[in-house]
Amino acid sequence: MRKFKLFIDFDKEEQWLEEMASKGYQLDSTNFGYKFRLAEPKAKKIKIDFRKFRHSTDFWDYITLFEDSGWRHLAGSKYSGIQYFEKVDDRAIDDIFSDNDSKAKRYKRYAHSSLILAISNFPLLICLYFTGIIDPVYLIRPRELYLTPGLWDKSGTSFWFSFIFETPFALFRGAAWTFIPLSILSYLFFSYKANKRYIQSMIKK
Amino acid sequence: MDINKYSPLTETTYYILLSLIEPSHGYVMMQKVEQLSDHKVKIAAGTMYGAIENLVKHRLIKSVQSDDKRRKTYVITEKGIEVLKQDYKRMSHMIHITDNLFSKTDK
Repeated sequence: MRKFKLFIDFDKEEQWLEEMASKGYQLDSTNFGYKFRLAEPKAKKIKIDFRKFRHSTDFWDYITLFEDSGWRHLAGSKYSGIQYFEKVDDRAIDDIFSDNDSKAKRYKRYAHSSLILAISNFPLLICLYFTGIIDPVYLIRPRELYLTPGLWDKSGTSFWFSFIFETPFALFRGAAWTFIPLSILSYLFFSYKANKRYIQSMIKK
Repeated sequence: MDINKYSPLTETTYYILLSLIEPSHGYVMMQKVEQLSDHKVKIAAGTMYGAIENLVKHRLIKSVQSDDKRRKTYVITEKGIEVLKQDYKRMSHMIHITDNLFSKTDK
């Protein structure tokens, strides 16, 4: 089963995943949404860390440290950032963080990583602007996005039929690029939110 | 080499540095810290990983070659030992003067 959900609060995400586990849905991967497989319903401890790795050896060292201490790596990859762990050893400590600072710092890493993503998308936006794919003229005269000859001279059913027919194409021509500024904006939003949460959790000692 | 900026060390950092007098990997460090501290300081995996990363960045510890392919092994650096000694002296002084004062005033 696949589910799509968006969290900004790691604690809430952990709670939701624990709830899913108690209903018998075991987290399998997070490459595209949350992928669950059916398992025996069980009360579980699931915790989230945020880390990206340059080298595979670092990633393995990281996962091995958690596994040595009784936490199995459930999902997440070298570059994905969000890493999911499940407690498998009863003797292990109940959390993957033993102090407030290190727990809060995952938000700081998340904020930093989102900001980098936002910044690295920016040159793409500039490129698209200079290659003429982004043309603000269409925002002022959206009519120019419609290519059907004589569309605007038609009237009645004939007009509406052609207009409605072409609208999806026009939107695609004029608005496909908005995907990039939108993702920049959402990365900035995530970065802002995560940073705010970082500051809040540092104060909440 | 400015070692004063690390003083005073947190209890956790002090024990981690102490656990690396002999080369060890992360999990062994966690166990050593627990033993050394009389089971009072327990460091969780995520916290330990961040602490190692931070200490490597400040060159108080360094990674060394080992046969273990999956686990990185670390050892304290000379700078790390200096920092540890400095903090040891600071605490010794506090213990010494506290002892003296307590015995004088019979507290």
